[in-house]
Amino acid sequence: MESLGYLMAGLGAALSFNNLLFAFAGCVLGTLIGVLPGLGPAAGTAILIPLTFNLDATGAIIMLCAIYYGAMYGGTITSVLINVPGEAASVVTCIDGYQMAKQGRAGSALAIAAIGSFVGGIVATILLVVVAAPLASLALKFGPAEFFALMVAGLCLVVGLAGRNILAALLMTALGLLLSLIGMDPVRGAPRFTFGVEELYDGIGFVPVVMGLFGVGELLLAAEARQTHLIQADLKKWYPTRDEWRRSSGAIGRGTVIGFVLGLIPGVGAIVPTFMAYVLEKRVSKNPERFGKGAIEGVASAETANNAYANGSMVPLLALGVPSSPTIAVLMGAFIVNGLTPGPFLFQEKPELVWTVIASFFVGNVLLLILNLPLVGLWARLLKIPFAYLCTGVLIFCIIGAYGLKQSLFDVWVMLGFGVLGYVLRKLDFPIAPAILALILGPMMEKSLRTTLEISGGSFAIFLDRPLALALLAVPLIVLAAIVVRPRAFANLRQTDIE
Amino acid sequence: MSRNARRGWLVATATMMAICVFAIWQSLLLSLTDRLGPGPGFFSFWLSLLGVLFAGLLILDVWRKPVIENDETLFPRGESAFRVLIIIGAVAGATLLMGWVGFELAMLVFIAVLTFALGERRWYAIGLFAIAGSFGVYYVFTRWLDVLLPPGPWAA
Repeated sequence: MESLGYLMAGLGAALSFNNLLFAFAGCVLGTLIGVLPGLGPAAGTAILIPLTFNLDATGAIIMLCAIYYGAMYGGTITSVLINVPGEAASVVTCIDGYQMAKQGRAGSALAIAAIGSFVGGIVATILLVVVAAPLASLALKFGPAEFFALMVAGLCLVVGLAGRNILAALLMTALGLLLSLIGMDPVRGAPRFTFGVEELYDGIGFVPVVMGLFGVGELLLAAEARQTHLIQADLKKWYPTRDEWRRSSGAIGRGTVIGFVLGLIPGVGAIVPTFMAYVLEKRVSKNPERFGKGAIEGVASAETANNAYANGSMVPLLALGVPSSPTIAVLMGAFIVNGLTPGPFLFQEKPELVWTVIASFFVGNVLLLILNLPLVGLWARLLKIPFAYLCTGVLIFCIIGAYGLKQSLFDVWVMLGFGVLGYVLRKLDFPIAPAILALILGPMMEKSLRTTLEISGGSFAIFLDRPLALALLAVPLIVLAAIVVRPRAFANLRQTDIE
Repeated sequence: MSRNARRGWLVATATMMAICVFAIWQSLLLSLTDRLGPGPGFFSFWLSLLGVLFAGLLILDVWRKPVIENDETLFPRGESAFRVLIIIGAVAGATLLMGWVGFELAMLVFIAVLTFALGERRWYAIGLFAIAGSFGVYYVFTRWLDVLLPPGPWAA
């Protein structure tokens, strides 16, 4: 009941003019990012961080969250109209969405995607309200040993599920953690790995690193494979027929459950729930042969799961302070930039902020539906922006974002360096997601581990005395071992790279 | 895995291993433990050690993989390579310029050069975009969004 009271107060705050404006701007910008091929939600959220530098914390987080789920929806438009996923999770939508567009049913496909996303997003947010507060209360009982174990668990799951090559993922995790240690030692205050460079005393900035790895890195890949697209669109008739509604309703329900549940598990990227929802729909269908030839339930299931996942993945972030994907890690970085640490203490210390942000998810999903149903033709026109302008515009945002946080040109060099590194690593198919998550979790992991060992006088046996910490450490390690020993059994859950 | 891809993986992993070895050395210069418990070098030492172990295993794993003989190149050539290099060069040039002439002029040059290099040939379109993306963006970010950007030489 207490949660409901907070939620109502949060809804009131989320509906204030300023917060409504931030949610609206976030939804518009997010959809724009999602529409533009080559820029995913992680890159989009990262490059638009500078717009929020001087907003109040609540407004900044509302806007960045809206950018995130706006981008998740925006990817659908390119998938349906030009058979190019705007972001990785929309790959599955291409299968039937583009076929529908070729049959002159693009409007129906986009409408059912918008409605499915809306239902998935709203239901997942209701489930988030139900699950997040009790989970945060439970996490308040955690000591440093449990927090360390929880972060190790999150990283292990990301490593296990994030790439074809687990050794590469483990190596990237170690490097991400090492990178996070540059700067002042959080416990003793001694400088580490700074080599006398003044700018490194504050550590390597998370924002320039993610802007480089995702923003510049993805842009370099897009520049290499520049393509022109032929738009398949008849958007005059967009309202689905009675038969299409009938076919889609079950798919939307099932997609919501799959998306939300998989959103709770760190390391399961957005593409996994969309793929699983699509496969399930094909299995339960009386006419599975229609899939791949323009089955509307294929679009409905994938898009619903996609948005339910986006909202579900907020649970581990808000309740436990553990990001489950690179985009959520970027959002966590935005919290930290605003002086907030997501996790159980945030529910206790800033309940009004947390509940306003959660309530804004409802508002954002309604805004997305309003924006996407009647304005789909407008979004489609954005696909005609020439690459020269798109690329230059994105780079301007990246430069401002990297510079603006600390007014440091050094950070722009860091962004460029990581941009080139991200491009090379993607070309080699090295998993980047574990490094990003490790980079954001590193300082907290180190602090938790060292505090735990200080309490125990340097003995690791403390983990054996704390059953929850032991279980949190054991379960993911067992899963990781199982993935190494029997990789085929986990093939459906694993992917080449998250988002 | 193609021969070029394998070479790329080996070079990348060896570089990462070298970084980890360097980090071990740097960690040893810091104290690993002190009277209160783990010292500043503790976490980085063990992480680097794990990093070396993973890198070593990865090198062995990649080395043992069968090589597929084909002409597949890892990095682009020709026009694609030009586009990638021009973007990297333009951002580097803009960063250097920003320190001397401020955001507006640096961006004016950056936008004009990059849009031209990426295929735009209409001078009026380049000019309008360059002015909007430099002076316009500077105005919006500094006046409306309160984000500080490097000022030009004429700023007081």
